[in-house]
Amino acid sequence: MNWLREHWRALLSAFARVRATPGGFVFNVLVIGLALVLPLTGLTVLDNLRPVARDLAVEPELSIFLSTEVARARAQAMEADLRQQAKKLSIPVTLEFIDRDQALTSMKTHSGLHDVVTALGSNPLPDAYVVRVVGGADAVSPTRITQLADALSRIDGVESVQLDSVWVKRLAALVDLASLSLWLLASTLCGVVLAVVFNTIRLQAYTQLEEISVMRLLGATDAYVSRPFYYLGALLGLSAGVVALLLVAAGLAATNQSVAVLAKLYGSQFSLSPLDVKSCALLLLVSVTLGAIGAGLSVRRALRAGD
Amino acid sequence: MSIISFSHVAKQYSAGVSALSDVSMEIAEGELVYLAGPSGAGKSTLLKLIAGIERPSAGLLLVSGQDMRKLNRTTLPYWRRMLGLILQQHRLLNDRSVLQNVMLPLLVSGASIKEAAQRARVALDRVDLGNKADLLPQALSGGEQQRVSIARAIVHKPRIILADEPTANLDRDSGKRVMDMLQAFHTAGVTCIIATHDERLLHNADRVVLLEHGRVIAMHDAASEVGA
Repeated sequence: MNWLREHWRALLSAFARVRATPGGFVFNVLVIGLALVLPLTGLTVLDNLRPVARDLAVEPELSIFLSTEVARARAQAMEADLRQQAKKLSIPVTLEFIDRDQALTSMKTHSGLHDVVTALGSNPLPDAYVVRVVGGADAVSPTRITQLADALSRIDGVESVQLDSVWVKRLAALVDLASLSLWLLASTLCGVVLAVVFNTIRLQAYTQLEEISVMRLLGATDAYVSRPFYYLGALLGLSAGVVALLLVAAGLAATNQSVAVLAKLYGSQFSLSPLDVKSCALLLLVSVTLGAIGAGLSVRRALRAGD
Repeated sequence: MSIISFSHVAKQYSAGVSALSDVSMEIAEGELVYLAGPSGAGKSTLLKLIAGIERPSAGLLLVSGQDMRKLNRTTLPYWRRMLGLILQQHRLLNDRSVLQNVMLPLLVSGASIKEAAQRARVALDRVDLGNKADLLPQALSGGEQQRVSIARAIVHKPRIILADEPTANLDRDSGKRVMDMLQAFHTAGVTCIIATHDERLLHNADRVVLLEHGRVIAMHDAASEVGA
């Protein structure tokens, strides 16, 4: 009970210090909040992009487009030729035949080009195969996949071969790179948050050096003297975290309309969503912890200076 | 029985200034001891050593059986709670009311606000300032501020009261009143050690310790004259 009472009193004391200088507190909250907005926005965007990138095929995939002059029966028989080439190179593959009618139907349904396709009159699409490498990119090197593409392109009746997974791999690599950069940025900005809290609490502690000194003479422990400063730092962190989350949510709401229009052009329902409750709670926990750590470092220094 | 024991205690500051040299004496529980001497004689340093504000450079200082050199940052605050400090500059917190200032020693010891307020009001009544509990310290005269500082020193019922020039900057009547209060606490059994250079106060003491240039040059018990 005594322990709880001491903490409750320290929390009230921290609130009293906020009330004593509300302008300074709000300013500091804004500074820290704005410092947190950048990494938080990045995290939110990445969080939205990651599932998109994950859902796309990162497995090496070859699209084999046949000449439009190849008859359907011959086109279906070409499966054996394709398998044979893959076997020669010892690359395990699965094959999917997509006939030109099926491709046209899919195009009409998913691309948003229904009117354009209908206006063409005849079907301009060729029969095609999709060749997927079993075991994925980890099992077969990119060089060998390129060799396979070359070999397949030489088969009579093959018009062109397209290696579909390259851009997806690039996107995944870009997302990973962005993620890494973001964590580096977030680490740097954590340092900024620590520095701002450290300085704020340092100034607060120095204005209260006489009080700290008197308290210690009267028998106050370091913990008793420090506790309100820890709470003050944590309050700063918490408030800044809330401000950052609100700013990011407002930013998403403002940009989502434009994102939706862009996504629709690609036949997608994609929109940016705020971080989920768990991530928000984690972020607030991190900002509270940073605030308390900054305050702890600062007040420890002030206590030594006050001796 | 001795509550404070100095054995060849010396205090030297880092600049090489010697504040105390070879001080040896015993102070019994419940004794009223005056530390007398001119400015710079070492009176305040001696009080600071007892309060744990400074550490002896040499010798052994035991306060209530505790070797003062062995107190560390963690244990010192708990130990200080048996002391009542009355400082020359009062050192009241000006952004808190008189009552809140007097409550501080109780609050830092973990008392509830209600209990601390009750006991602080009793202490303020004892120094005749019960009616000024809600004022800020700046609203009080120097003598009244010193009485608040006495109330703060006695509110937690300390075993030892240390007072550094408690009547400095006070007029004659205020000074007498402050000294009468300290005398009353001594009568109640509290060990009081008072540093002063006001010789008019010395006649009340059980013992007067005369310091000069950091050395004890004379000790005078109630029964004898001040002298070497």
